[in-house]
Amino acid sequence: MGNGIQAIHPFVMFFYYSCLGFFAMFFNHPIFLLAGCLALIGVNLSHDGGQAMKQWTPLMMTMTVLIIVVNPLINSRGTHVWFDLFGKQVTLEVMLYGVVTAMSLLMILLLFVSLNIVLNGNKLLYIFARILPRTAFLIMMSIRFVPLLKRRLTEIQDVQRLKGMTMTQGTLRERAKSGMSMLQILLSWSLEEAVETADSMKARGYGSGTRCPYIPYRMTKSDKRWLSYLLVAFVICGTGGLLGYGKIIIYPELGTLHLSLLDWVVFACGMAVALFPVFVEGREQLKWNYSI
Amino acid sequence: MELFNLNHVSFSFPNTDQHVLKDISLSVNEGEFLVIGGASGSGKTTLLKLLKRELTPTGKLEGEILYKNKLIHEWGERQMVEQVGYVFQDPDNQIVMDEVMQEIVFGLENLGYSTFEMRKRVAEMVHFFGVEDLLSAKPSELSGGQKQLLNLLSVLLMKPRVLLLDEPTSQLDPVAAKELILMLERLNKETGMTIVLVEHRLEELYAVADRVVLMESGEVRYEGDSRQVIGALYADCATQFFPYLPAFARLYMEFEEMPIVSAIPLTVKECKQWIGRDEHEIVPVEAQLNQSKERWILEMDDVFFQYQKKAPFVLKSFTLRIPKGQFFAMVGGNGSGKTTALRASLGSIKPQRGKVYLNGQDMKKMKDSEWLGKIAYLPQNPRTYFVQQTIEEEMQSIGERLKLPDLTKRMHHILEAFDISHLRTRHPYDCSGGEVQKAALACILLGKPEMLFIDEPTKGMDPVSKKHLGELLYSLQQDGLTIFMVTHDIGFAASYAQRCAMMFDGEIAADGTPDELFKGNYFYTTAINRATRETKQPEVLTYEEAVATWAVRESI
Repeated sequence: MGNGIQAIHPFVMFFYYSCLGFFAMFFNHPIFLLAGCLALIGVNLSHDGGQAMKQWTPLMMTMTVLIIVVNPLINSRGTHVWFDLFGKQVTLEVMLYGVVTAMSLLMILLLFVSLNIVLNGNKLLYIFARILPRTAFLIMMSIRFVPLLKRRLTEIQDVQRLKGMTMTQGTLRERAKSGMSMLQILLSWSLEEAVETADSMKARGYGSGTRCPYIPYRMTKSDKRWLSYLLVAFVICGTGGLLGYGKIIIYPELGTLHLSLLDWVVFACGMAVALFPVFVEGREQLKWNYSI
Repeated sequence: MELFNLNHVSFSFPNTDQHVLKDISLSVNEGEFLVIGGASGSGKTTLLKLLKRELTPTGKLEGEILYKNKLIHEWGERQMVEQVGYVFQDPDNQIVMDEVMQEIVFGLENLGYSTFEMRKRVAEMVHFFGVEDLLSAKPSELSGGQKQLLNLLSVLLMKPRVLLLDEPTSQLDPVAAKELILMLERLNKETGMTIVLVEHRLEELYAVADRVVLMESGEVRYEGDSRQVIGALYADCATQFFPYLPAFARLYMEFEEMPIVSAIPLTVKECKQWIGRDEHEIVPVEAQLNQSKERWILEMDDVFFQYQKKAPFVLKSFTLRIPKGQFFAMVGGNGSGKTTALRASLGSIKPQRGKVYLNGQDMKKMKDSEWLGKIAYLPQNPRTYFVQQTIEEEMQSIGERLKLPDLTKRMHHILEAFDISHLRTRHPYDCSGGEVQKAALACILLGKPEMLFIDEPTKGMDPVSKKHLGELLYSLQQDGLTIFMVTHDIGFAASYAQRCAMMFDGEIAADGTPDELFKGNYFYTTAINRATRETKQPEVLTYEEAVATWAVRESI
């Protein structure tokens, strides 16, 4: 199960990601969003040193730039005209709106990169097993078949290649034809074998009553503490947001970007939520390094 | 106490008059280790499936099956699921879930046990099996033996009273098979669990079983204590069952002047005691390097291969030369890289370093189409070979692709030679395992290839079909075909191959004739070799060798 953030109960993590997703769409103050993005970058760094994030960087960069550039070209609302571009007025509001949208999306992407590392396959399935037990079970079974079918296909390819059927050489038409034949073999073979899988399920009582899923994760005391911590911070942020803190008015005319004291309180609570994985990992590190 | 009672049970599949089981009366006692043997198609699996209510095949059933003196259908569904456990033949097909932990609790989840009860049972059984480190693994990462152990564990968690196993070791290598049988023996002895096992490979099982049942064409022919069954077989001269007997028992019955049933040796130890020990000085074997001037058909030089950039090398400086016309067998444990070596020699994978030459040509530089028809490959599962609806159509399409002259004549000839003319209009999936293998071999040989590659041809075969296959391959080799076989089956390799090699850790560790390679090993050899080593009789590898070399009826 791993240490640090991997050891936290999936429900707590799921709650954390839901909170952050909510924040990303709820607040639109650029400072809030920027801080959110930075916090998530920090979270990703704390997971694996940014390995997974690195793969996504090109996509995220292009998307951010694209939104910021395209938005002024197709939109000309707002009142503070900045400059003219190809006879179109580019307003401050439009620019800012582009930045806010881009950051909000970026935050969600970063969130999913982290979610992919922390709530991998089984933990996610475990969460959904409560809500959608049948779907979760079906997904679990299908995942199981991926490596199996892959292995079978390699076997078929090895055999059929020596019979002159390949997908790597010949004209496109020939390749498509041999590909189809191989899939046909894979299908009939797998269906044949699946009869035994079905028997094995029946032999172990599948469908004889309501399934009662095994729960491999235990809600520990520290999980409960973290959950209440997240809950309190989230409620403060939520009420603050409803009262208008952490939000700005962009259209039709840009409001103030100034942050009041209460804005800062909401900001602090938001950060407390966003940086939760970093705290968990940090505590673990401290314990390792300084406890006797 | 009797757990199962079968009273005059007959069974036939729908739309056939043929009875798969004919008037079987049998009982299974509580706490017994019962082994059911017999050729493929003798009805053993059907019999076993009838004992597990959920798996009863559709068909006409006569007679009655009682479980604890009550008809099997009168029991509650849940009780039958729990009390009768069933392990199948193929380790892969039974696994349903994507994680080992999820898989082992699958049955318990279905029956709606509480998490507390599941945790308790899992903790206990996992510890007993010693597989704690596998719990978070993916089933696809496990070896065949581990998968079968996982299947057994998953069934045992439901606390069955009786365990039914359908050829559980047929897909495993000898070491893994032995481990599984040891586990079953332990369960039987320590927990008193009733075990009913159906198997071809009975060699080790005779020593373990309390009772042996031998079946033939749907009827129980012999039944009783292992030694009694062997004695009865010899008294009746039932030669069709002889290949199923342990080789020691056969030697004893044939070489001992006055065989006594109660003294039939069933283990290596007993066999050694019977022959009588004799110290021989162990002479280290020097392999005869007959560097013939023959042409090499396959040359592999310093081949290195890894599946992924950071993964360890599966082949390390792998070097192999096979001369034309040789029957070469490669043996080795699971994960030693046998299959990878075969795939590299076929050109299915491209080695990172090293060269593979086929007939003097570099394989890397050749196109697939250039050696079409020149080399042939018989896979582990021959069903992957067939694309067409019938065997005849398959042969026709191959003939057309290779542009063979007088195809019909050749087809007819080869079908006759393989004795499978009656299968020509059948779908490959409707044939038995041995038949489909023969059919695939016939199709492959249609194009007169120079070299044949075979991967694990004896998996799941009964001894008689194995013998047929061995003789077929031998005669093909006599006709000039070069054969490269990868196998676990040391007995098979020792009987038919000219040259064997043992693979270990990505390279060939030793290479020589079967005699040089296997005689004197502790585990990597046949049971009969272990039993005859350091005895008064010459050391032999196979039963046939013993018959040929030992002085017949010499008093021992």
